[in-house]
Amino acid sequence: MNIRRSIPPYKPSPEKSIELRDCGDAACDIEWLSSLQHETDTDDVMKFTQFALDQGWGDGLPLIPPTELRVREFLNANNRFADEIICHLPPSNSACTVEKIAINAVMAGAPAESLPLIIASLEGMADPNFELFGLNATTAPVVPLTLVNGPIRNELNIPYKHGCLGGHASMSVAIGRAIRLIIRNVGGQLAGVTSETTFGTPGRVGGIMFGEWEEESPWAPFAERRGIEGNAVSVYGTMGTQNILDTTSNRPFDFLEMMGKSLAYIGCNGFSPAMPYAEMMIAINPVHAKILHKAIPKFEDIQEILWRHASQDATYLTEKHREQLEAQNRVINGKVFVTVEPKDFLVICCGGTGGLHSTGFHSFGSCITQTRKILPGPNQA
Amino acid sequence: MTIGKILDPTGIRNDDITSPGPDAGSLHGKVIGIRLDEIWRAWDWVSEYWAAEFEKAGATVKFWRSNQGRTGEEGERIAKQLDEFIQSIDIAIVGLGNCGSCTGWTIRDALACANAGLPTTAVCTEVFEQLGKQLSAHGGRSGLRIHILPYPLNEKEIDDVLPVAKDHLQGMLATMGVTEQMENIA
Repeated sequence: MNIRRSIPPYKPSPEKSIELRDCGDAACDIEWLSSLQHETDTDDVMKFTQFALDQGWGDGLPLIPPTELRVREFLNANNRFADEIICHLPPSNSACTVEKIAINAVMAGAPAESLPLIIASLEGMADPNFELFGLNATTAPVVPLTLVNGPIRNELNIPYKHGCLGGHASMSVAIGRAIRLIIRNVGGQLAGVTSETTFGTPGRVGGIMFGEWEEESPWAPFAERRGIEGNAVSVYGTMGTQNILDTTSNRPFDFLEMMGKSLAYIGCNGFSPAMPYAEMMIAINPVHAKILHKAIPKFEDIQEILWRHASQDATYLTEKHREQLEAQNRVINGKVFVTVEPKDFLVICCGGTGGLHSTGFHSFGSCITQTRKILPGPNQA
Repeated sequence: MTIGKILDPTGIRNDDITSPGPDAGSLHGKVIGIRLDEIWRAWDWVSEYWAAEFEKAGATVKFWRSNQGRTGEEGERIAKQLDEFIQSIDIAIVGLGNCGSCTGWTIRDALACANAGLPTTAVCTEVFEQLGKQLSAHGGRSGLRIHILPYPLNEKEIDDVLPVAKDHLQGMLATMGVTEQMENIA
């Protein structure tokens, strides 16, 4: 292969309209729900959790029994038709209906108000360009990260300040877990069965769901930069989180050099011959973000500087590794780069005001980040 | 304790083709398409060995190299190449399932070949056998032919891989449904 393969610029998908059908209290009493029903203990959470584990539905954490009443209440708060097919999820390619989403969301303890966010996330993940098919099957420890923009961050208490990636008490864990249960129960992703993930990642339990600190960020919100204003969600296939500590730098270019060089470890998927291209997301805390913006006002310049530093001399690679990348025409002037182009650096702003740290999210590779508008249901308009 | 009813959270796919599809039959005069990938050099060596044997039996072998960049413009390009590959062959051999995602794409491409009516055999290494079978079933063809090579394979040098190719030739032919000429090959 003698061409460098780059990721095309992101184009937002056409806005999807939803059919606003109001089932009303009376109409919702009719037999709308089509899922199989199972008899079990519906009072004792631990007994139900064991029952669910025996059925292969659980993740090991306690589950709330998805009784018909609970699922109906969840649906009533949204007025989306239960039989509406949102997407088909690999590897099972099963139809993911609103009803299945509601059942799994109830089990995870997610609030009914999160349904539009869950739906938008799943629509993004199901886009063929996200390559959920490969992501779910791979040996890699990859999980879709869910980045939330817009006022819905505050309405659902999606964290974007201190501890936004874990440790902040919020419903985002339950919402993220709902998505993970849907991938497991509807998509059919089971470790050792349909997923060969060698190690997995803690993010495969509760997801990685957080927001951008838009109010403190010097840059436009991530989704807005991709053409979608307001409430939106972006999904990104991440190999986990990589901390970058910098207690030394005091000049903007030094900060970027430290970040870029830290990201360029040779075992990352961005350097893999198996992945012809990759994106690279980096979360920069508000303190550093403001320092960078003041000195480097053009956002594309920040991407360019990061990209240049996120590289390695080809001679640093092992011989066979270098040979494969050379054969793919990925050695440029003696260097290899984590991403093909600077634009593939996805820079976001979040985290606490203590500064000092950045977080790198290495990409699985060919999963192209997807952004979707979060469409409110009629009860939430 | 209250016994009540809860709703099933799973999605179920009901359709399935349990047939392995048509046999490859005689190789003479056929175009055998072998799908390679960019990752596994051992699969190149196995394929080249088998291709030489197929040609001895009167077949023509056509190679097509896929990659894992199956999204965006690259994905469209690869999908078009796959369509053209399918149109140009009589028998499909698709490999190599030797990691999670590449097993996924191996099976997906094999299903595309099988769904086009081609005698099709996917090739996986033994660690990824169950994944290959699961994904075939999820893809609606639990009967898809899958030949299993030993694991590890790509970690070996060519001198260790070629004997594997030789040892597995007859088994591969049996999986493909080549019945008439097996004794004449290798």
